[in-house]
Amino acid sequence: MKSTGLFARELHRLLHSRPAWLALLLTLLSPLAGLFLYKPATADTMLSLYLANPALTGGAAGGIFFGLLAVLELDRVSRSRMDALVDAAVPPLRMALVRLTALLAVGLLATAVTMLVWLPVTWSLVGSVFDLTDYCLAYLIFMGLALPLAILAAAAFYQFTCRMDLSLVLFAAFCGLSLTLWADEWQLCWLNPSVWALSDDFSNFRIFRSAAYMRFTWLGALAGFWGLSCLCVRQYGKGPFGSFARSVRRVCRPILVLALLASSVTAYALQPFVDHSNPDLSAMTFSELEYAEGVTCSHRSAQVTPCTDSGSVTGTASYEFQNSSGKEQTVSFAINPGYTVSSVRADGEAGPFRVGDYQEYNEAMLEVTLPAKEEMELEIRYGGFPREDRTTSTMQGSAEISREYICLTNASLSPRLLNVLPAKDSIPVTMEITVPAHMSVIPFGRADAQAVEEHDDGTITWRYEDEGTGGILYAGDYVRQDIEAGGITVQFYYGRKHQAIMEKANAAEAVRKVVDYCTEHYGPLSFGAGGSLKLIQSRTAGGGYATDGASLLDEADFTAANLSDPDKGGAVGEVFIHELVHQWWGLANMFDGADAESPWSAEGLTVYTTYRIVKELYGEDYAREHYTDQWQREAEDYYLNYYVRSPEYLQELPQSKQLEISNSLSRVRQYCEMPLKILKAETLVGGEEAMDQILKGLFNRELDWSYPYLTYQEFLDACNLTEEELNLA
Amino acid sequence: MEIRVQNVSMVYPNGKTALKNLNLDLKSPSLIGLLGPNGAGKSTLMKLLVGALLPTAGSIQVDGRPLTRSEKQLKSRLGYLPQDFGLFDELTVAQFLDYMAALKEIRSPKTAVSQAIEAVNLKEKAKSKIRTLSGGQRQRVGIAQALLGDPSFFIFDEPTVGLDPEERIHFRNLFSQTAQNRLVLLSTHIIEDVQSVCDQLVVIHHGRILFAGTPEELILTAQGHVGIFWEQEAFEEEGLHITARVNTSQGIRCRAVAESLPACAVPEEPSLEDAYLYLISREVVS
Repeated sequence: MKSTGLFARELHRLLHSRPAWLALLLTLLSPLAGLFLYKPATADTMLSLYLANPALTGGAAGGIFFGLLAVLELDRVSRSRMDALVDAAVPPLRMALVRLTALLAVGLLATAVTMLVWLPVTWSLVGSVFDLTDYCLAYLIFMGLALPLAILAAAAFYQFTCRMDLSLVLFAAFCGLSLTLWADEWQLCWLNPSVWALSDDFSNFRIFRSAAYMRFTWLGALAGFWGLSCLCVRQYGKGPFGSFARSVRRVCRPILVLALLASSVTAYALQPFVDHSNPDLSAMTFSELEYAEGVTCSHRSAQVTPCTDSGSVTGTASYEFQNSSGKEQTVSFAINPGYTVSSVRADGEAGPFRVGDYQEYNEAMLEVTLPAKEEMELEIRYGGFPREDRTTSTMQGSAEISREYICLTNASLSPRLLNVLPAKDSIPVTMEITVPAHMSVIPFGRADAQAVEEHDDGTITWRYEDEGTGGILYAGDYVRQDIEAGGITVQFYYGRKHQAIMEKANAAEAVRKVVDYCTEHYGPLSFGAGGSLKLIQSRTAGGGYATDGASLLDEADFTAANLSDPDKGGAVGEVFIHELVHQWWGLANMFDGADAESPWSAEGLTVYTTYRIVKELYGEDYAREHYTDQWQREAEDYYLNYYVRSPEYLQELPQSKQLEISNSLSRVRQYCEMPLKILKAETLVGGEEAMDQILKGLFNRELDWSYPYLTYQEFLDACNLTEEELNLA
Repeated sequence: MEIRVQNVSMVYPNGKTALKNLNLDLKSPSLIGLLGPNGAGKSTLMKLLVGALLPTAGSIQVDGRPLTRSEKQLKSRLGYLPQDFGLFDELTVAQFLDYMAALKEIRSPKTAVSQAIEAVNLKEKAKSKIRTLSGGQRQRVGIAQALLGDPSFFIFDEPTVGLDPEERIHFRNLFSQTAQNRLVLLSTHIIEDVQSVCDQLVVIHHGRILFAGTPEELILTAQGHVGIFWEQEAFEEEGLHITARVNTSQGIRCRAVAESLPACAVPEEPSLEDAYLYLISREVVS
């Protein structure tokens, strides 16, 4: 009662302070800047634009305002020369705690008021995909938690220094670090969490969890830091060290501080979200493993059960192996680095296994020793919280597992065989996954999943047959629409939340137009998928991708704003077109991707074709502005780039910088330089129609399935041009 | 309440010695005047008594327990007015006192606040912001916060600074009434303030206690050492400490204290001020 009374009066006093009201008002207004000025979430989804950005800006600005307020208010006591009166009534350490809690309460009030005021605004801006849970979590985690962190940091600086000017400088530096040097480190940017996108149609629990984890890690650290500063609160007329020596006489205090700091360091080190993959994107250790001698795999299966509450996965994978070598063999699997393997059994007998520390492309290597039997069934039990690739740690969210959406790719779905040849052409797969009853399971590829068993706990087990060593699977509350176009049936899957928007925008008609265009210009899809193609709207992922018989389309292309943008001719977004075009130009086995330096890849022809479709749909001016002019600008910059002209100096840079630069240059080569070369070729061969004929010929030629590459030389030969003729520099 | 100061010394980190081997017993009920020139160590002693400083040597006991162990109990029974204090200007008088009542964990803060406001004659200003108050009114707010919650131990450091004569008389009486069943320590350099109300006096100089006793006892020490004379008759005399000069038609009439008065001086009955000055001058000479 006594402490609460004291807290209530301190809060009451604080609410009579003008700076407190100013901080509250500015914090309330700061989300406005997120709509126009500061937009850390770069995705085009409605929740990114109208919820994430305002909430993140509110957090960053509000944090700064409340940090300043904390310093001002703590200094006010000595400025008002009230310290003698207050210290005579209450021990200084207790008063420091009371002041802190009062400041935190004002921060909480600011968050609550901001949430209330911005609720109708956000609702009206976001429209039909508004979700109250997302709204509350975004404001609480992205904004709300920034305020206590800032208050703790600023108060600690003041308690250490007892000087307003010095505290403000230190606090500014601490904020500056988060906004600059630490901005690319998702665990360090305490003020501005790495949130690049929020999904409209599917859930965001992964990114909320990750941001909350970062915030709570810092909360522990800064609470410990504040506690340490509290031990230095001046008392008995002593300086910081004398006061510290006096304060630590009660042993529970330093123990509590150490516990907080230790818990924070532990949380930092043991974060479960991101793996430790090799940042070198050209590393290919796992794909260059030697095949196990005399070992083949004739079938594999997996039973996977995602836990939609915890976002984790448990599974059992079985493999039928033949070992003709007559001796033990070591086979390697790739598994998600977040998973642990609980048991490995060959024909029911536990066998030795080991998971290596090295990780590459979001995979760790599981090595299993097979007995010297001719035939055996290997069973692997695994599970855990899937981690995401460290190279995209600031773009987390793709491994979403929730009651609304599940995405499991390759080693996250089941252990992926690395060094075993298939017994025949490829390894047949039987996959079973148990998901909540309202979800549809969509394997990414040709396979179709069927519901095979309904369970009492409200889940359904789905089964599908596929082939290969990996596999990607999506599940969610999807609507399926079948569209006849280009002589095939396009199965168009999109989130139910988005149904009204899709129907209003007549997205199905847009799909039909693109498929018809490509079929007319280049011929029907030649990669057989039984005359069907799946188009799957995914949770926002920064783009899409395609495989045989399926294309993934980012939900950002289907936002209400994007679909109704008159500048885009009222049709769907370009990434959507791009990923559809990949069905013609872009399946991985069509191009040789071994040479990372080569600009020739699936992207060149796909970007070029996308430009052609966009030109037809939206007009020449739009296509020039958003495509050719942009390629030209980037290509010119590329040729002027210091490291392109003097590549020997690139080797002198630290490896992380080297990778950053070489990845960026590779993107320009593939997405800008090559489309420009094709455009140049188009001019040299006599225009668009002539180029269309050449591409149609290339697309419909006889393909050697064991070596189905379309090489740059083949393209040049078809155009009757030389490499030099297409040089741009 | 009983406070015992035993062999207390206080040396600040900068090396300045504020108190030297100080011994003092304070018992309630009592109104104790603490006298001494600037820099004598009065404020240091008060800070030690409220737990704002720790002595570098010696001990302070409150009702038989070391102050460091009974700090919380002491603070809950303490009304303290420091010499140099500020107020939260953005609050009204009532709000500020309410805040201080919360700090002191007073059970019925409303009653305590209204009683304190009444005691310092600030009823009409209760709802005024502190920033609108005059210097004297702010001083009264300071006294009011010390009175909150009926403490059993008061420490007032120069409480009447900035008050007009009428208010000073009012507060003297207030302190006197307060001390009837409590322990009040009143530090001042205005002798008048202590003369009429204090039953005990402590004179401190250069960190040491020169005198501790009743005002009468202090006056007694100056008996025979106070006299008046014409200035021109004694201008060459040494060891005289002039305490007053009055211009008359016959010249300047001086009042002085001295270890031995000049022959021309007419002995006078010493006042408390004379006694105090005599004590200090004797210390300076020695």
